[in-house]
Amino acid sequence: MQPPILTDNKWIEEFTEALNLQKPLSSWKQYNMAFETAQKNMISDFQTLEAPKQLPQLTLHDYQYDAARKAINEMNGRAILADEVGLGKTIEAGLILKEYMIRGLVKKVLILAPASLVTQWCAELNSKFYIPAVEQRKKPQWETVDIMVTSIDTAKRGNHAEIIKNIDYDMVIIDEAHKLKNKKTRNYQFVREVKKKFCLLLTATPVQNKLSELFHLISLLKPGYLGDEEAFNDYFQRGEHYGELQELIQKVMIRNRRDETDMDWPKRIVQTVPVRFSSDYHTVYEQICRLKQKMKEEYHSPQSGFLVLTLQREFCSSREAVFMTLKNAVEKREMPSEQMNQEFLNMMTSLNHLPSHPKADKVLELINSWEKDEKVVIFTEYRATQLYLQWFLGQHGIRSVPFRGGFKRSKKDWMRQLFQNQAQVLIATEAGGEGINLQFCHRIINYDLPWNPMRIEQRIGRLHRLGQEKDVNIYHLAVENTIEDHILKLLYKKIGLFEGVIGELDHILEKFGSNHIQSHLSSIFSQSESEGEMRIKLDHLSSIVLEEEKEEATHATN
Amino acid sequence: MQQTEICTFLKTFFSENGCAITENSPYSMQVQLTEELDKALMNRPFYWHYIEKMGGQPNLATLSLKTDPKEEEGELIHFGSPRLHKIFSYVIEKGRFGQFFEPVPPEGKTVPLKPWLCLNGKIVYHCHQKKEEFFSIGLSLITGEMLKEFHSLVKSSSLKVSIPDFCFTLTPLIKPGSGIDRIHQYLFHTIEKENHQWAEEAMCKMDKELALLERFYAGTTEKPPSYEKEKASITGLYAPSIQLDIINGGIFYLHNHPLTGFS
Repeated sequence: MQPPILTDNKWIEEFTEALNLQKPLSSWKQYNMAFETAQKNMISDFQTLEAPKQLPQLTLHDYQYDAARKAINEMNGRAILADEVGLGKTIEAGLILKEYMIRGLVKKVLILAPASLVTQWCAELNSKFYIPAVEQRKKPQWETVDIMVTSIDTAKRGNHAEIIKNIDYDMVIIDEAHKLKNKKTRNYQFVREVKKKFCLLLTATPVQNKLSELFHLISLLKPGYLGDEEAFNDYFQRGEHYGELQELIQKVMIRNRRDETDMDWPKRIVQTVPVRFSSDYHTVYEQICRLKQKMKEEYHSPQSGFLVLTLQREFCSSREAVFMTLKNAVEKREMPSEQMNQEFLNMMTSLNHLPSHPKADKVLELINSWEKDEKVVIFTEYRATQLYLQWFLGQHGIRSVPFRGGFKRSKKDWMRQLFQNQAQVLIATEAGGEGINLQFCHRIINYDLPWNPMRIEQRIGRLHRLGQEKDVNIYHLAVENTIEDHILKLLYKKIGLFEGVIGELDHILEKFGSNHIQSHLSSIFSQSESEGEMRIKLDHLSSIVLEEEKEEATHATN
Repeated sequence: MQQTEICTFLKTFFSENGCAITENSPYSMQVQLTEELDKALMNRPFYWHYIEKMGGQPNLATLSLKTDPKEEEGELIHFGSPRLHKIFSYVIEKGRFGQFFEPVPPEGKTVPLKPWLCLNGKIVYHCHQKKEEFFSIGLSLITGEMLKEFHSLVKSSSLKVSIPDFCFTLTPLIKPGSGIDRIHQYLFHTIEKENHQWAEEAMCKMDKELALLERFYAGTTEKPPSYEKEKASITGLYAPSIQLDIINGGIFYLHNHPLTGFS
């Protein structure tokens, strides 16, 4: 086939003007220099990456170079970059973008990042890649700025969205793309309607819960690649055609795992710190446990089991967390009987009489055992605990800053800076786990344990990532003889979550579905009649998970 | 471009443009910019606007540059640095059109100079990928003879921008405009004879993805706006085309034939 040939009419026109002396002519030296310069900047073939030649100051790891090469040459610039947390997906994306810009294939770019990372994206693209990325301002200039970085929440707002949808973007990059797993959300619809030639989706967790999430991600990139949704579900969901699916996915997704890269990563030093309830705390915990039986007798719904489960977990975190739940339940009049209501009110009173939480004491003890001003990030699942801890540490002269997913971008940046420069402790709730880089800190306290093991990984990934130079110390706090202990001993330890390198676990979870594990856990804890039953069921669960892994391993060696 | 090459390039560029250079070492230099280069390279339009409005004396910028990272002072210039790219574009912009004469030494009699047209440029092959191929073609505007690699034939001679004494130029029989057409025709023919497998592959990818897209939306009676968007994106991404970009060109008045060498 013969592609159409376009000529440089602008030059021809100007040349004619120049010959008629309406434009200045070059000197012989100027003419020669222009020629040589243009020749030096020629792109002589389709394949070889030009960008690294222009980025001599940038240290690129082999896997990053390969990822960029593959995304451009094999995936035609439409790819999911799904390296594990902390391997430098931003670097890969920057490299790909730079390459396309050098080749003149990309000019107009939209980068959608979590609000807390917008500033950082801009800084990295500018300083590492000399890409003039601009952060969206109050009055965004979508049309005039060529490389715009913004958050998806800003971009999708009515007035902006209308303008954006009318722009022909050469490239769209979406960071933390797993947030687009639900096709019904406005975010998803919005991204789908942005016109984009090249597209990079960045996520460390392409599958969080269900395979269909991956389907929706890929459909943004290449609609129809995995068929339509119905066909996909029929064909792949049951797992029979797993190999086939795997192969298809590998053509649009690049995933580097930490243990496959040939780098010396800073170590993870994991330590479980047992916490013991004092007798007064223990009494209240028992009181909560007894609720389970009582509620079961009162009304026979499994719902009651969940409530107790929540209370148990919260009590292992802080009085405040339980208190809020109890208060809500009472206020909403969810109690089946007056007697139950009274029971809750009593419990609230007994909470009031408890001294400081033993876990908080333990945190203080840990912090005091380190060198002065040693920074630490504390993760908790509960807002109430976050507030309590901030107050508690303050009482002991330790400055801390809170961090939540709900913070505005500027606030997140501010908090991060405060933490880096002034405060010793950052207390983050779960939502704060994503989208913030804290390489300058190398201690984490997991104040309570999330049930989705991937979330532990994301927490650790905030610190244990490219750029971290020291070993990372990780402390898990778990209260002995409580539900936390069960989770820790029977599940997390057995599947080797803490010791193992990241990657193995998400390998298993990819197959098994981490939601699966979560729902299993919930039902085990809420339904089991006795301690023994619970233990057996947990054992069973962990052996299933391990079995999956073993099978995988034998498969690999064969 | 290697660092030493860049260093030489910078020195030539700045001295060529009338800037005073103080060399601190082989790999670092101080450059006192001229007004023109200050405007072109320093990106301070407001300052210049102010100076010109107020009629003030401009304080011309000094650049401190180094090409070796080990040097202490100065801004590191390497192949990817924005400063260098700004210089590149300036250089290319300044050297787009020319009119040059062979310096024939005066020997008492008048000498005719024959006009040649030269176009230097690149053929840009463009789909979801891109590569460029260089061309330099000269055309005698008297005989219509065409020479490939014309620039390398003339580049080392010291041509002049004004006509030497005792010389006169022959009027072209072929007008520059039709000369440009002839060179283009020649390029079209060469391109047509090439193997365009890259374009076929791109089309193939495009068709495949368009087919997938159709299948994806097959079930929907009324196609959503995203359908058209995605269709346009796919076409925009893969559709192959070829572009003839001209770097520079000029009219050369030569006494000798380029293949025989110049005075």
